[in-house]
Amino acid sequence: MRQEFKLLSAERSLWAVGLMFLLLIGYAVANGLAQTATRDRAQAAVWEADQSTRAAQRARLEAIRAGLATPLPFDNPADPSGMAGNYGGHHAVLPSAALGPVALGQSDLFPSQFRVTNQSRVGFMNPSDIENPWHLLSGHFDLAFVLVYLMPLLIFAVSYNLLSAERESGTLRLLLSQPLRLRTLLAGKLSVRAVVLLGPAVLLPVGVLLLARQAGLTGTGTAAGTTTMWWAFLVAAYALFWFALVVAVNAFGASSATNAMVLVIAWVLLVLVAPVLLNLAVTQVVPTPSRTELATRTRVLTAEAMKRHADLLATDYEHVGRGAALLPQDGKINISARALGNYAIQRELDDALRPQLERFDRQQQHQQELLGRVGMLSPAAVAFEGMTALAGTGARRHARFVAQTVDFHKTWKGFFYPLIDNRTALVPQDFDRVPAFSWQEEPPALVHRAAAIAVFQLLMPSLLLFGLAAWRLRRLCVS
Amino acid sequence: MLQATSLTKRYGTHTALDRLDLDIRPGDIYCLLGANGAGKTTTINLFLNFIEPSEGTVAINGVDVTRHPVASKQFVAYIPEQVTLYGTLSGLENLRFFAGLALGVELPRPRLLELMTQVGLDHGAVDKRVSGYSKGMRQKVWIAVALAKDAKALLLDEPTSGLDPHAADEFSGLLRRAADRGVAVLTTTHDLFHAQHTATRVGIMKRGVLVENLDSEAIRKTDLQALYLKHMRA
Amino acid sequence: MLLRIAKREFVERLRDGRLHWAVGLVLVLLMTALFVGYSHQSEARAEQQVAQASEYRDWLRQDRRHPHDAAHQGMHAFKPGAAMAIVDPGINPYIGSTIWLQAHRQSEVKFNPAQDATGLQRFGNLSVGWILQVLGPLLVIVLGFNAFAGEREQGILRQTLSLGISPVRLLLGKAAALLACVGVLLIPAALAAAFAVTLGAGEGERMDALLRLSAWAAGYVLYLGIFVFLVLGVSAASSTSRMAITLLLALWIGQTVMAPRMLSEASRALSPTPTRLQFNQALNADLKATSDRMWQQTFGTTERWGKDVPLSKWGVALQMDDQSSYPVYDRHFGRLWDTWEGQQRLQEWSGLAFPILAMRAYSMGMAGTDFAHHRTFSTAAEAYRRRIQDLMSADLVKNADTGGERHFSYQASPDLWASVPPFSYRAPSASWALGHQARSLLVLLAGLSLSALFATFTTSRQRAL
Repeated sequence: MRQEFKLLSAERSLWAVGLMFLLLIGYAVANGLAQTATRDRAQAAVWEADQSTRAAQRARLEAIRAGLATPLPFDNPADPSGMAGNYGGHHAVLPSAALGPVALGQSDLFPSQFRVTNQSRVGFMNPSDIENPWHLLSGHFDLAFVLVYLMPLLIFAVSYNLLSAERESGTLRLLLSQPLRLRTLLAGKLSVRAVVLLGPAVLLPVGVLLLARQAGLTGTGTAAGTTTMWWAFLVAAYALFWFALVVAVNAFGASSATNAMVLVIAWVLLVLVAPVLLNLAVTQVVPTPSRTELATRTRVLTAEAMKRHADLLATDYEHVGRGAALLPQDGKINISARALGNYAIQRELDDALRPQLERFDRQQQHQQELLGRVGMLSPAAVAFEGMTALAGTGARRHARFVAQTVDFHKTWKGFFYPLIDNRTALVPQDFDRVPAFSWQEEPPALVHRAAAIAVFQLLMPSLLLFGLAAWRLRRLCVS
Repeated sequence: MLQATSLTKRYGTHTALDRLDLDIRPGDIYCLLGANGAGKTTTINLFLNFIEPSEGTVAINGVDVTRHPVASKQFVAYIPEQVTLYGTLSGLENLRFFAGLALGVELPRPRLLELMTQVGLDHGAVDKRVSGYSKGMRQKVWIAVALAKDAKALLLDEPTSGLDPHAADEFSGLLRRAADRGVAVLTTTHDLFHAQHTATRVGIMKRGVLVENLDSEAIRKTDLQALYLKHMRA
Repeated sequence: MLLRIAKREFVERLRDGRLHWAVGLVLVLLMTALFVGYSHQSEARAEQQVAQASEYRDWLRQDRRHPHDAAHQGMHAFKPGAAMAIVDPGINPYIGSTIWLQAHRQSEVKFNPAQDATGLQRFGNLSVGWILQVLGPLLVIVLGFNAFAGEREQGILRQTLSLGISPVRLLLGKAAALLACVGVLLIPAALAAAFAVTLGAGEGERMDALLRLSAWAAGYVLYLGIFVFLVLGVSAASSTSRMAITLLLALWIGQTVMAPRMLSEASRALSPTPTRLQFNQALNADLKATSDRMWQQTFGTTERWGKDVPLSKWGVALQMDDQSSYPVYDRHFGRLWDTWEGQQRLQEWSGLAFPILAMRAYSMGMAGTDFAHHRTFSTAAEAYRRRIQDLMSADLVKNADTGGERHFSYQASPDLWASVPPFSYRAPSASWALGHQARSLLVLLAGLSLSALFATFTTSRQRAL
């Protein structure tokens, strides 16, 4: 193996490839860190805005109770119907995971913050981030991209002529006339190349992430170390697949040029075309329910509810000229009929739409499950999904966020509905009891198990390829 | 017709051709002899503008090759040592294509078949894919192209290598007929027999220098082989 | 002469099997993409038509109610699917097509398909545009990388050149052959696309859709033409076929896979989009300031809906609030959307180095699925919303609420609903789209000239040996 390393180090192309790889990874990691940091900052700003709004509302309530300020119909912190709605709504936020910078995944496509109010979920659970759709279309230059798309090409560049070069230059005959098994020869060659490529692929990002964590630039989270370890396994398994493919192709004894051509075609099919076709297949078999239909149904149900409560809506503003009407009295508050009407409408809409929205959730889950099963057909898809899942930017974590937001929504409603029904005025102490969203991170065991499955799904085809190679190599023509 | 004046070609410190002077007239068959690496092929490549001279000039029919690369090739036909044709096309299709390129017009099938007869290719073979042709057959197709072009000068690089004596003899006959028509021929070769019996002039090259220049009188009188070996051993 | 060279090259590729395999594979993908695109499009279109019709029908059938309630409930505007979305869905998967037109606020699109997509969305959508942009150049590379280099290695090139052919003629002949090979792929696909697009287009749109398709196809001819000359030029400059294909593959990966992402990241870094929070805060602050000023002017107080504003004036107040907000929205959204269009302009210019970016912009633009088209829809929807608001407010001004405390008691008759026309949005015409795409078209033409010059340069200086 030392010989191989010496031979290889003499080859300038290996160093060129290694250096290029290093540069690409460096840029990708830096980019990932920058984007994640921006996202974290934006989320922190949202959180702070919520806090300061809440504090201001509390101060206003104190002032109103002290008689220093007059409440207005749409600016009354004592009114639970207002505080439950747009006036007092609070955000549910999905923070970045510890490995977030590694794979930006869907983080710009799936919403990671929702402003929860007593409205039906359909009103506030929508993408809220603003981004130029052209950029959304282009995708990210993150580490996952470099590893999934570009690493295989670099593997090809250093090893496409693993055997064919030796055969063509005649040295294979000389080598095999020594007491050296072909298997050992191949293993030696492979390990050297694997070290050169996997070294930067795994060590650099891990190093950078550790440094970033020390500097407080990324989140910590429990078991971040084990997650990082699983990520390293995933990358290694993905690389192993491509090395296995190279060995299998070489085992057929074709010329270096043919090997290169076959490998590039395999890359095009497995990395470019297959995931696209898979995506298409999954969405055809398990299609998403129609959003257009949802919009129409929402409108129709709202109209019906508005008609039912037309009386409440067509009512008055007693406060006009009588500011005292808005003040809490004996712990009770006069909620205007229109506000009560809106509350009733939203409540009914929420109940009526729940089955349809749950259908959306179930359909997404089915899609993910189907994808998990057929994804094996493309190692690139498995690797990419695996990386985004570990980085916390994948579909599963997002589905968890949606579910937790729905629970938070329920808790929110559970807190405010009785208050509204009983016309109970809010007091400053209530501000401490208002439900707050607290994100429960995915259990590490779940994350690691999913990663293990992905690694397994990558190892299976690798084993098959090595088996194929072993069978062909038995009949290898040395000259 | 084919003129080289002080033609020199250097690759770095190595001189492949040193001040070559050549003047090949119409009707001449000039054989250039020499060992591998003596500069024979370099000479041919310079005439065809495949490489650029370091010094000196090279002209075909008075047209400077370096300054008018495309125009100068009007007058010359080149036959390499290894003739390569388009394998997926037939012999006739290759001839039609290359003759069409050379002349600018497409020749009709009867004329193409006539050319094939002239070079001695069996009509049954002309419609088969060239990938099945022997070296001699491929060379014949290319000679047919040269004939179609009706060039005033012929440049040949080791034309008889790999040909059996009968084919080589056929080939020599072809050259003689061309020279009789007034074509100037420059051919490089190792084949002393061929040179002795076909050439009207002979040149011997050694390490880029033309060390001997014999006319037809001298050829008849000299033992070419002895002379050649004398230079090679020196 | 040219045709002779082209014909021979074409026949050779046909006989060596490359044409069959490479073109066949891509053709299969193209047909799949067309079929899928067509079925999606017709489904979506049918749904959108039904939904829009039912929105308006239900609006007309409203009972008597207070106009402001009607305004609050509002209507949805559904963006009609572009006929050409079959061949290039553009940004549609990343931007929604439903806008809720409601009182008091300008809405952005409600849902977008990406939020429902699987994780593989990031790999791309199978569309004719994607295949041609990404795999098209690869096809040209596979068919043409050894056009000069291979002949040089085999020795045919020196034989050909010895016949006295101008190298440029040779280049043009080979380019014509490559284009013809690509044509074998493009022509059936274009015919199938024309058929699909015509079927999928609505009434009166067919002509426009076909015009768009022609311009769109012409753009792809330019794009692939750039690669034809690039491939031939590199082949002429490379001493071996192996070097040629290595270099070409590296270039292809760089421009197709890496460049779009790197440029988007650069764009994001150079001119970042405001966050939702920042945008909302700025917008709300501006709205409040404007509104306060108007209220102070008209009613002498900034207290909304207070004792200084009699019930009878609420119609006027609403109208004034709305009217004063319109310029504010225009300013903020306009600035945001102008930023985006500026970013896209930058990307189009970088098409000089990375043709795929200019091609992507042009393809989306001619298909009618780019942001410029979406902006016209958003603007039209917003204009319609304002029309509804103004009609409702005008009615309130006329029929000011009467009775004491019973606000929102006035009930408008269905005649008011009928006074609102249906939402009719027509996507811009093909000539509008072409005008907007002048820049990317120019870049593609420049790219073609540059690569043709490059090929001419390397071909005339190439070594015969």
